[in-house]
Amino acid sequence: MASQVVNLRVNERSREFLAAPGTPLLSSLRDALGLMAAKRGCAQGSCGTCTVLLDGRPVMSCLVAVETVDGASVRTLEGVARGGDLDEVQSAFLEGFATQCGFCTAGMIMTAEALLDRNPDPTRAEVVEAISGNVCRCTGYGPIVDAILDAAARRRKEDAAARRKEDIAARWGTADIAATPGTADAAARRRS
Amino acid sequence: MITAVRTPESVADAVGHAAAGGRLMGGGTVVMAQVNSGSLGSPEIVSLRRAGLGGIGVDGALARVGATATLTEVEESPELAFLRDAVRSVASPTIRNQATVGGNLFVPQPYGDLAVCLLALDATVEVAGPDGSRGAPVDVVLANGVAPGEVVTAVRLAVPAPGTWFYRKAMRRKLNSAAIVAVAAVVETGGGVVTSARIALGGVAPRPVRAASAERVLIGRPLETDVLDEAGRAARADIAPFDDAYASAWYRTRVLPVHLRRAFLG
Amino acid sequence: MRYKTNPIDRTYFPDEPAPDFNVIGSVVQRSDALGHVTGRSSFFEDLSPPGLLHLKAHRSTRHHARLATVDTSEALAVPGVVRVLTHADIPNNVFTPLKLIGVQPDDEPVLAEGKVRYLGEPICAVVAETEAAAQEGAARVRVGYEELPAVFDVEEALAEGAPIVNEYHGHNYFTYEGHHCRRIRFGDVEAAFAAADHVFEWRYQSAPIEHAPTETTGCVVVPQPDGRLRIHSDTQACFFTLDNTALILGTPFNRLRIVGGTVGGGFGGKVDVAVEPVACVAAMLTGQPVKYVYSRYEEMQVSSPRAAERIYIKDAVTADGRIIGRKITLYVDAGAYSRHSPYGTTKAAAHLPGPYSIPNVWADCHCVFTNRTPSSAMRGFGVTIGDFALESQMDRIARALGMDPLRLRLRNAYRDGDLKAHRKVAEGTALVEVIQKAAEMVGHELPEEYRRMSSMDGGGR
Repeated sequence: MASQVVNLRVNERSREFLAAPGTPLLSSLRDALGLMAAKRGCAQGSCGTCTVLLDGRPVMSCLVAVETVDGASVRTLEGVARGGDLDEVQSAFLEGFATQCGFCTAGMIMTAEALLDRNPDPTRAEVVEAISGNVCRCTGYGPIVDAILDAAARRRKEDAAARRKEDIAARWGTADIAATPGTADAAARRRS
Repeated sequence: MITAVRTPESVADAVGHAAAGGRLMGGGTVVMAQVNSGSLGSPEIVSLRRAGLGGIGVDGALARVGATATLTEVEESPELAFLRDAVRSVASPTIRNQATVGGNLFVPQPYGDLAVCLLALDATVEVAGPDGSRGAPVDVVLANGVAPGEVVTAVRLAVPAPGTWFYRKAMRRKLNSAAIVAVAAVVETGGGVVTSARIALGGVAPRPVRAASAERVLIGRPLETDVLDEAGRAARADIAPFDDAYASAWYRTRVLPVHLRRAFLG
Repeated sequence: MRYKTNPIDRTYFPDEPAPDFNVIGSVVQRSDALGHVTGRSSFFEDLSPPGLLHLKAHRSTRHHARLATVDTSEALAVPGVVRVLTHADIPNNVFTPLKLIGVQPDDEPVLAEGKVRYLGEPICAVVAETEAAAQEGAARVRVGYEELPAVFDVEEALAEGAPIVNEYHGHNYFTYEGHHCRRIRFGDVEAAFAAADHVFEWRYQSAPIEHAPTETTGCVVVPQPDGRLRIHSDTQACFFTLDNTALILGTPFNRLRIVGGTVGGGFGGKVDVAVEPVACVAAMLTGQPVKYVYSRYEEMQVSSPRAAERIYIKDAVTADGRIIGRKITLYVDAGAYSRHSPYGTTKAAAHLPGPYSIPNVWADCHCVFTNRTPSSAMRGFGVTIGDFALESQMDRIARALGMDPLRLRLRNAYRDGDLKAHRKVAEGTALVEVIQKAAEMVGHELPEEYRRMSSMDGGGR
């Protein structure tokens, strides 16, 4: 059977491409769409470097036959950084020295994004469990776990600030306060 | 090389493709790994992702779990909360988002911890085939698989009464590691002694096995250390352990009684 | 998140000049971290040039065998397969990576020639338009083997009558300046054993250790319009790889350009010249870009691990815990080929007898060829396993004497001015102070006599 046309919503953009039978989602992202953040570390689902969000859940994209998820929505690390602005997880990884060789980083960050979307205030044990499918051979994991906890704290703080602004706007009708660029937008986007 | 991936949208179509020789795929955690290493051995894949086999339904103490329900869905099901610890001992949360209940029945040991649980639960496997549907006891499916062209569509199980479910898995790491020994059991007691016991073991044979010898030891006796130790030693008659990167056959045999005891007494 | 830096502790060496550091003691961001957290860092496999071909190796299924037949016709018949390379396609097929620093002889084929010496040794390279076709082609190469006896144990390999693993050496050990091993001779250990109150002898053995980098070994070679080859690689040693590749290709160094430096974990496992030469040959013969990347299985099975070592240590010890003689026989399992193991064995010898002043030392350090996966560099190779053995030995001696293991070490620790077994005078040792500080930090009490010790006095032993 020949290659098939596959449609995916990738980082909030509709993308259409051809895929040969049995092509993993990872290969389509990299080879057809040029999205190189997700890496191929084992092609066996054992290392987590290819982790992306598929309809909001982290998956090993090397194990997803792309023809079977036609129409799905996918988020990769390229969709986390918007313009020049790092999100909280990226900032925490950067400032917390949670990267060394960088090969696991994309998968780690996407796993962390999914965790914090579902659980804004995780315990250390919950973070460790969440990233248990992501192998890092450099850091010993300590700085990564610290960075994810730090990102959670940053995000809670930012969301609280955004909610306060929304409350004030709702109470006083001062739309210009709610429209303060940056934080409120980001928080609203995440909650949507 | 793969020449086709079918994504049938009905069970009948899935059965048709399977009967034509396509290799069935649930979540892809086993099949796609083989595709990537060029070792699948079949040019055609039949994905069950869109065949309508998902979902978990619970009616009183009876549950029906669709073949393509993910391990995450089982983990998050309030009615199947008794299985949560067992499911969380399987792989990583990311893999659990992909791996399916039906697929877990066909994973070689020392993987497939949920299948060990289903064996202890004496589950029934619903199978669709070219000649219609049938229900098959899980032990038969675990031992013999299903016929070519047949598709597992669901698993039915009875939720055990509170206090009768036991699970323990010994692994090299606390998370995301295969079984050295897995123990799953439904054991009922009355008047201080065991009145019925179904114990299943993982990690100690090529497929999940019932520890029938251990069950016989327990019947009519209390769940106490010395009785459980005796049962654990008896269970060595029921296993066919193997060496792998996680543990040697010798070690698995050696520690089986310890973990069987700990499944009940912690 | 705020990062704490440890101030420099000047307690022990107040007379040392205080340098004016700009970087030490401050927090400096990694230059590549922004690329990592945004996914923009470019690893070699993130390059996808048009017309890219894929290369997969057909590998030996035997530990030691003569190659009777190699049939590539079925592989060539796989749709998409462009070419199958054998040793005959490699200009200078036999090499050894450390020839750049004068290590000889050349002892390893890029693609197997006549025989295979370890399980997984590459025999053919299949080049195809898709990765799946290359994989399929590699699986369809048919090799007829004539099995040879294999040897997997270092001492068995050195025994009389053992099968010869590597004919380029003629025997199962690497020759050091005419000697069958690296040797240390200092004082008279036999006299020390005769004079000692106790003699302790134990054996230590390690297994091979795989680096398991998250990114597997690989490269993409892109022919340039001017005829040069641009090699995108995750090698840890760009110019070392370039020079070795040029020697294998028989081209001037300036016909190659290497682009690297972004390495998805190396730990020493990416200093062998494993994939670039054959990928370059494939690119030259096809005129197209070629990617050769190890699968995870290949990374685990055929990339060089840290060498397994076997170490015997025999010590002459006085009743009060002075080690007066140490005799060491050390075997490094190089596997089938030299790679970096002759150097690793020299490092092991250079590290003996550990950071202790011992007046009589005898060591034989053998670099041994076996039919196991060739071993090579890994973080402190030659030293790490030796340290495991030496420090285990120290703990066992302390236990046997009923002595505090830290006091045993302090008593024997080298001091500035001591003559080491290699006839070098020790300087800047600081071991005494490190042990004292470590003891203090973990609340391990040391008597006054030991707390007063210093690496700066008592030397010249």
